[in-house]
Amino acid sequence: MIKLLHTADWQIGKLFGQFKPDDGALLAEARFKAVEKLASLATENRVDLVLVAGDVFDAQGVADKTIHRLFNAMAGFQGPWILLPGNHDAALAESVWTRAERLKAIPPNVTVCLQPEPVLLDSVGVALLPAPLTQRHTYTDLTEWFASAETPADMLRIGLAHGSVQGVLPEDIDSPNPIVPGRAEQARLDYLALGDWHGVKQIDSRTWYSGTPETDRFRSNESGRALLVELSEQGALPAVTPLETGQYRWHSETLELRVPSDVEFALQTISAFGPADVVELKLSGQTDLGGYRRLCAAIEQARGKARSVLADLSALRLEPTAEDIDALKADGYLGEVIAELRANQDGADAEIAREALALLAGILDAQHAKAGG
Amino acid sequence: MRLSRIRIEQFKKFRQPIEIKDLEPGLNLFTGPNEAGKSTIVSAIRAAFFERHRSTSVDDLRPWGDTSASPTVELEFSIGETRYRLVKSFLGKKRCELQIGTRRLDSTEAEDHLAELLGFRYAGRGASDSMHWGIPGLLWIQQGAGHDIQGPVTHAIDHLRTALNASLGEIASSSGDSVLATVEAARNELLTPSTGKPKGAYDEAIKQEAALANDILELDADIAAYRQKVDTLAALRREHAADEAEKPWIGFRTQERAAAEKLEEIQRIEEALSNEKRRAAELDERIKLLHGQLETFARQEKELETREAELESIRQKLERATALVQEWQSKRAEAEARHEAARETLRLARQADTRLKLMRELEATRLKVKEAADTLEKAEKEQVALVELKRQAALTEIKLKDLEQLRAQDRQIREMQIRLTAAATRLRFALEDGRSIGIGNESVTGTGERLLLETTTLTLPGLGQLEIAPGGSDLTQLRAEAKQLIDTYEALLQRLGLPSLEAAEARYRAYTQHLADIKTAEATLKALAPQGIEPLRTEVAVQRARVQELEQALNLLPPETPQTAKLPSVSEAEAAEEAARLSLEKINESLHEARLTAGKEQTAFETATRELAAARAVVDDPQRPERVAAANRDLVDARAEQSTLAARIEALSRQLAEARPDILKQDVERFRRSAEQLEKRYNERLDQLTRLEIELQTAGAQGLEERRAELARDHAQAKRRLEELRRRAEALDYLLRLLRDKRRALTQRLQAPLQKHLSRYLQLLFPGACLDIDENLSPRSLTRNGSNGTELGDFEDLSFGAREQMGIISRLAYAGLLREAGRPTLIILDDALVHSDEERLAQMKRVLFDAATRHQILLFTCHPAKWRDLGVGARSLEAIRAEA
Repeated sequence: MIKLLHTADWQIGKLFGQFKPDDGALLAEARFKAVEKLASLATENRVDLVLVAGDVFDAQGVADKTIHRLFNAMAGFQGPWILLPGNHDAALAESVWTRAERLKAIPPNVTVCLQPEPVLLDSVGVALLPAPLTQRHTYTDLTEWFASAETPADMLRIGLAHGSVQGVLPEDIDSPNPIVPGRAEQARLDYLALGDWHGVKQIDSRTWYSGTPETDRFRSNESGRALLVELSEQGALPAVTPLETGQYRWHSETLELRVPSDVEFALQTISAFGPADVVELKLSGQTDLGGYRRLCAAIEQARGKARSVLADLSALRLEPTAEDIDALKADGYLGEVIAELRANQDGADAEIAREALALLAGILDAQHAKAGG
Repeated sequence: MRLSRIRIEQFKKFRQPIEIKDLEPGLNLFTGPNEAGKSTIVSAIRAAFFERHRSTSVDDLRPWGDTSASPTVELEFSIGETRYRLVKSFLGKKRCELQIGTRRLDSTEAEDHLAELLGFRYAGRGASDSMHWGIPGLLWIQQGAGHDIQGPVTHAIDHLRTALNASLGEIASSSGDSVLATVEAARNELLTPSTGKPKGAYDEAIKQEAALANDILELDADIAAYRQKVDTLAALRREHAADEAEKPWIGFRTQERAAAEKLEEIQRIEEALSNEKRRAAELDERIKLLHGQLETFARQEKELETREAELESIRQKLERATALVQEWQSKRAEAEARHEAARETLRLARQADTRLKLMRELEATRLKVKEAADTLEKAEKEQVALVELKRQAALTEIKLKDLEQLRAQDRQIREMQIRLTAAATRLRFALEDGRSIGIGNESVTGTGERLLLETTTLTLPGLGQLEIAPGGSDLTQLRAEAKQLIDTYEALLQRLGLPSLEAAEARYRAYTQHLADIKTAEATLKALAPQGIEPLRTEVAVQRARVQELEQALNLLPPETPQTAKLPSVSEAEAAEEAARLSLEKINESLHEARLTAGKEQTAFETATRELAAARAVVDDPQRPERVAAANRDLVDARAEQSTLAARIEALSRQLAEARPDILKQDVERFRRSAEQLEKRYNERLDQLTRLEIELQTAGAQGLEERRAELARDHAQAKRRLEELRRRAEALDYLLRLLRDKRRALTQRLQAPLQKHLSRYLQLLFPGACLDIDENLSPRSLTRNGSNGTELGDFEDLSFGAREQMGIISRLAYAGLLREAGRPTLIILDDALVHSDEERLAQMKRVLFDAATRHQILLFTCHPAKWRDLGVGARSLEAIRAEA
């Protein structure tokens, strides 16, 4: 029986500019942590082999330091690692791989499949058929040759490829490296390990996307995992078990405030975020000044608690109540200003008007606080 | 508020009490020269209101030098229907009493009531100051302070605002201005106040974002270049591998060699062809030579024939020329004979002609001799007659001068006798018949008359003698003169040998006739012999000699013959001779020519004869037939060889043309170059590969894409921050604008009533103008219609005079506002508008008159004349004092 760990899309070197610098640095760091986690899982589960189905690096031109760091992070598993170049790190004439080789950063237990030719792993009885990307953009199916590839009869045939299986993934993914559906069966593969899709996804009984081991985007999918694949014998269906590897959970929340109780629900949602959460919050609808103040306070609190919170309140409309305005003691022309700002939230300058209204409310609050205290 | 009575005592200028009663509800004009106490009245009113009666700082109210005085002011006025009476004494006797209708207030209570009523404050300590004066400070204009409006308005602002709000029933925002200030400060941290350009953190964020975006762009370019190089590397490697496998230049080298061999073979053919061509050329030359020889032979025979024919033709010509010479010779003999005959005829004709001419001349000369002899004879006769005439003339000569003298003397004598007769005593007598008397020596009878020129004695027979003496001495002198004249006359006649004047006259007529005859005779002689007699004689002699000469010549000529008559005239004979001579000359020329021609033909004949002999000698050479035969044989041989060679040359040429050696040469070059290019390209590529590999390795170590990712991260953060700042800046700007707009709208609303009053007065001064009021209700700027359209001027920039006018207009407007709010208004003008020109002053008078229909106005001036047309009577302070 063969046991292997299937992972992909490490995207080493990816940075996160949409967050505050501290948060971004931690998220980038988490990608190395994920590799360390994979190594330790491989060792724990005593797997025979680790397959990385492409996009190990986020870009060709990563720093030498990053290359060294990556291979060091893999040290936790001494068994064979098979790495496949993907579209981000294609095996070009000069690539991150040739540099890694020159830097002598690649340990002996790591094999990089730079050519589309069978790799025979005698010790584990596996004939590996890799489909490395050798161009920056590939429009042909690189797994085409799998079917005609001759492998020793006593070895398991395992395919390793990076690209999108046609007609299976969402339409909007216009991936340039296509893979025809049913390749595993057609090429008599025992298992086809795929990369490129960042979430865990089963294509057919022998074909899986493992997804990235550490989530790197808000798009909701089953990411942050690796697949433990067990192949009992030739021809047997693989037993696939997803393992948690990710450190952070990425959430994208869109909260629409319609009635006062919606504010309460939003507050609950916001306060529930913990240290492993990376949150994108979009608030829309409308609220009074009281609700607005509480939401702002809650978001500030969540920022202290969660890994990172991106809050977008630009679609939220402020509707100060009569009590709000009384509380602001906005008499004379200030009252007229507030009324106009409220009205202008529907006009061309809606966003500016809302912002101005919030600012004015803040200033009035501060003045009353000073006057009162 | 209406002031009706003022009483002042022991106050500054007024030690004695002075009282002004019956003040008008509208305008009150007080006049007086400087120092008359106008300002004292004003300061009394001010003191009555502004100073606490207990104040110790009012020493200046006392009359100068009077330390014990208690300055006292008593005022009566009414507000609405309520009547007031205020009595206030300072210093010596401090007192304050205010009677309100029937109510009475004392001291501080009274004063506080007044302050509340009029809208002013008291000084905490010391004398009252402008900052306390409130509304009266604004409406009571001190001397020379009309232009200063800012300060008084500031001190009255609270009262004015209250008045405004009271009229509007609305309140301004309590915290608006501080919010506005906060927003403005926050906004100005991000945007420049004037232009709204980003500044501070916002500006920095913009710059940082742009810098990062630019860095990314630059890095992208580097990355693109790097990727391009990677692609180049891959392509080069593919090409290199292909070259390694194929080595395509080897094939080209082989092709080059094959082409070269083929070329060599062709070059051999080329050589053979050129040999054959040379041989053919030689043959052509030989054939040409042989042809030449044969042609020469033929030409020689032909020439012989030609020579023979030519000789014959020349011979015929010679014969013709010789015949012509003989012909011309016989013609010349005839012509010579003709010429000789003509010449003889001519000689004879000329002889006959000479004879004729001589004879005619002889006859003429003989005639001339006869005529000359006749003339000579006549001339000699005339000469003799002339001499006789001249002798006659000499005999009768009398000078004309003498004659004229005679005539003059005769005339004088007669005149003298007339005068004598006139002067003489006339004696008439008539004697009886028979009686006579003697008069002088004469005795007379009958009747008659005698003129007595001298004393005459009358002898009267019988009686005696009477002597009559004519009177005067003239008569005597006249008689003397007459005697002298007669003497001279008779002397001249004697000298001339003539008896009388008549004889002289006759003699002169005869002399004149002789002179005329001489003239006629001389003219006749002149006509006959103009040169005189002697030339005539010579002429006769000459002509006679000529006759002899001619007769001699005629005798020498041969005698006349009968043929002579038949001879032609000389001219005819000359023409015949000329024609004969010309004919002979022409014939001589033709003969000469014929002889030349004959000579030439002779020479030609001799030459042709010689040439013919030579030609014949050539043709008759005994070896000639053999040489002709040999040449013909050789020609046939050469032609045969030529045709064989031509066939060979054609075959070789065709072979050569098919092989295209030029193209073959190019093939060799082409294959060689192709091989070289490929080898060169291969080697170059190898170099390029090495270079590129090293370059890429170096570039790769820079981690370009990771750097870009970092930059992209930083850029995203910078952009987010910029976006936040932009939103904040926009929102603040928006908010500030909105706040200002609303505030301005509110202010305008608040100021509308004030503007209404202002406008009323301003239109009188500057039609169409508008005085802008600032937030503190002070005049800010004046907009009016000038000569160049609308003019906008800051209040502070106006002239002093204009500012004073505006100051008064503003105050009147405030007064209007206060009145509407139910506040008391009293306006005091102390010597105001002294800086206004007449035109403006006139307008200001209209303004004041209008204002006085609503407010009481006290106007003090030292220029009464200027205010005469104010519509109220002026009250002289001096008069008022005198009343007191």
